[in-house]
Order: sequence, then C-alpha cells, then structure tokens
Amino acid sequence: MIAAFFNLLIFPGFLFLAIFGLAAEYIDRIIYARLQNRMGPPWFQPLADLIKLIAKEDVIPCEANPRMFKMMPILALTAAVTASFYIPLWGERALFSFNGDLVVVLYLLTIPTLTFFLGGWYSTSLFSKIGAMRAITQLFAYEVPLFICILAPALLANTWSLSEMAAFYAAHPFYWTFNLIGFGVALIAMLGKLEKVPFDIPEAETEIVAGTFTEYSGKLLGFFKLAIDVEAVVGASLLAAVFLPFGYGIGSYLGFVIYVAKVLFIICLLALSRTIFARLRIDQMMEFCWKYVAPLAFVQLVIDLALKGVLIR
Amino acid sequence: MGLVRKIVTWARIKSPWIIHFNTGACNACDIEIVAALTPRYDLERFGIQLKGTPRHADVLVCSGPVTKQITPRLKRIYEQMPEPKFVVAVGTCSCSGGVFQGCYNVESGIDEVLPVSAYIPGCPASPKAIIDGVTKLLMSLEDKEGSRIQGPGSGKK
Ligand code: SF4
Repeated sequence: MIAAFFNLLIFPGFLFLAIFGLAAEYIDRIIYARLQNRMGPPWFQPLADLIKLIAKEDVIPCEANPRMFKMMPILALTAAVTASFYIPLWGERALFSFNGDLVVVLYLLTIPTLTFFLGGWYSTSLFSKIGAMRAITQLFAYEVPLFICILAPALLANTWSLSEMAAFYAAHPFYWTFNLIGFGVALIAMLGKLEKVPFDIPEAETEIVAGTFTEYSGKLLGFFKLAIDVEAVVGASLLAAVFLPFGYGIGSYLGFVIYVAKVLFIICLLALSRTIFARLRIDQMMEFCWKYVAPLAFVQLVIDLALKGVLIR
Repeated sequence: MGLVRKIVTWARIKSPWIIHFNTGACNACDIEIVAALTPRYDLERFGIQLKGTPRHADVLVCSGPVTKQITPRLKRIYEQMPEPKFVVAVGTCSCSGGVFQGCYNVESGIDEVLPVSAYIPGCPASPKAIIDGVTKLLMSLEDKEGSRIQGPGSGKK
C-alpha cells in the first residue's frame, strides 16, 4: 500500500516526473538560447515560473464555464502522469503492464490535447476558440502517423505490451535499427503533440495572442505548463522505449543514467528543430503531415511486416 | 509561513513576465523596448518573457503619454491582469507627458491613470536604461520581503 503510494506520488510518479519535466524545459530553453547566441535563463527558471504562477491570482472569465475551466488543467496533468506508469523507463518492466497498454498510453497522451481544446473552447474568448479549433485540427494531422509508426515496432515484436516489446528488443539487439524511419516520424508527430515551434499553430503568440491559453492565468496556467512539461518527458520516454530499446538489464543505476540520457537526447532533438524551423500555417501543416509524414509511417509499417516474414518464423 | 512567503517572493522576482502596451508613444520608445527583448540584450537572463495576453503578465510596460482615446483601454488591460501586478512607465512621455505635456488630447503621464511602480526616463529610453529600471523594480520587491507583496494597485488609487 505504502509502496504503491510511493510509486504513484514520488518515485516514478508525480514528483519525479514534475522535476524531470522542469529540468527538461530548462534544457530545452538553454539550448534554444545558446543556439541564438545568448546566455539563456538560469537553471531554476522553470521552477520560479511555476511557483510564481501558483502564487498568482486566478482569473476566471464570467462567460466561461467555471467547472470545465478549472478541471481541464488538472485532467491534462493527470493523464500525462498516468501514461508514464505503463512505459518501461529503465527496466524491461513498466510499473504496471498488460497486453494492450501501448494503445492505452497513446490514448492517454492524446488527452492533454483534448483538454487544450476543451479548455480553450470553454473559456469563450475569441482567441482561445481559434486556438482550440487549431489544436483539434492539428490533432488529426499528426495523430495518425504517430499511431502507425509506433504500432509498427510492436508488430515486429508481435505484442501490444510495451514491457514485452522492451523484452523482445533486448533479446534481439540491433533490431531497433530497422525502426529509424519510424523514429523520425514519431519525432515530427511529437513536435505537433507538444505544440513546439514548427507546429505551435494553436498558441501562435504573434497571431492569436496565446491561443488556447489566452484566458488562463495563475494556478491553472501553471498546471497547464507543468502538464506540457510532463507530457514532453513522458512522450520522450515512450519514444525511447519504443525506438531506442537498449541499455536494459545492466543494473538499475546505470540503466537510470542511460534512460535519462535517451530522454535528454530526444529533448535536444526537439529543441534543435524548434530553433531551426519557423511556424507553418495550419493548412501547410496538414498538407505536410498527410502528404509526406503519413506515407513515411506506412513505409515503416511495410518494412516491419516484411521483416517479420523474413526474420521471425 | 515565513519560508513560503520568502520562496514566493523569490519566484516573483525571478520570473517577471511583461506585456508591452503603447499608450500613444511616438514609436521610438516601443522600438527600444522591443530592442531590449532581442537576443542582443537577452532579457531572458532575468527570467523576463514577453507575453501576448494581460492574463499571463505581471508587469505592464507602457510607453507614451496616455492619449484620451486610449485611457479606457489602458484601464481595461490593467484590470485584466491578475494580482500582483506592476506598471512600468518607459520614456519621458509616460513619466510626465514629455514633449506632449499640456496637449489637449493627452493625460500627461501614466500616473494620471494608473499607479506606477517604476519610471524610466529618456527620450527614447535606451534598452540599457530599461533593463536597469526593471532590475531596480525587482530589487525593490526584495526589500519589501517582510511585508506581503502586493501590486500598488491593490489599494485603490
Ligand atoms: S519619450 Fe520621446 S521617444 Fe519616447 S515616446 Fe515620448 S517622444 Fe517618443
């Protein structure tokens, strides 16, 4: 009982993910700053932002539906934290696992986007409604390639459970190199999911103020920010578990270091693309995702199907 | 409680998010404010970020001598900001009216309309002066650490 609470709230649970998420945000921001040739924020910046937001006044617009408005940030945070329990972090086994948890994790990671949509919709301001519509439109562009390219490695491993997938790839080293196309597709989809720069169309601050989050302030905004940070870490852990499945079974300390390194590597790639690219228009993003990214995901699927016929009898 | 208050004060000092509002400036001060936010001066070192919406902002950075037409809008933007909030007047115009003082269509300074926490003179105020003024405002918050920090707006003007 106590161990379960410890797992849920402290160690691979909420507190660890929150701290790791804030650290990842710092690394993202410092890389962004250094690539722009400036100093960047000090190491405690994300923490200071969060504490300040929590201590600020919450303003709820009188037009908005207060219950939905307040519930959405907490729901986003909960879904992102819950998803982490099914992902094998540094051992081959996740905290909980059952056959089919891969699909559950993918859906849990979709919930934050839905809460952005609902939160923006229920705050009834014009800008947040536009942001909400863009968030949901964007969802249809990146979600299908993401699902296909994450299900392809599962097909090769012949299981729907993330823990069994990790065990399969640990037993067959170098099989993960077949999935590199899928890794690229998943990175692009992750940028869309986290609303990072080429795909930050829902919160494009130069066009629609702050998009979905326009009316959010204080604690609620802080929870949304934390949810995005946690989602970044959990998403990166999912990519690490599916596409970079090595370094298991060498002791938990070394495994932990390798896990952190993998996640930070993915965070660095995301920060790099944030610096390099400029924001796309929503129609350009749809076109890009459906014309180029989705076919690439299908290529990955075909490769894995063919390999399954050749390698595994 | 003392420790919590200290941490909160520290966080507020380290993370001021600003919103920039032109209250009728001749545009030179706005250009200087925007210049202060570029990588050259790198205000993110102090945790300062430019936000698009008053709901996210802690500091309202105004430039210009509040024209009669913009007064209700300025008040409205100020009221949309959550507490605690501060106002910084950038440029001689917004401090005192500057060259526009006494014109038929201006209020001669932000403090005619809103409580101001920091005045940054200069025509236009240079980015260095703006950074100096903002850091001084933050330092003055630290001095008041003992008392509960509130925006000067909380006790009605
Ligand atoms: S202080 Fe000078 S530069 Fe600034 S807005 Fe006024 S007239 Fe323009």
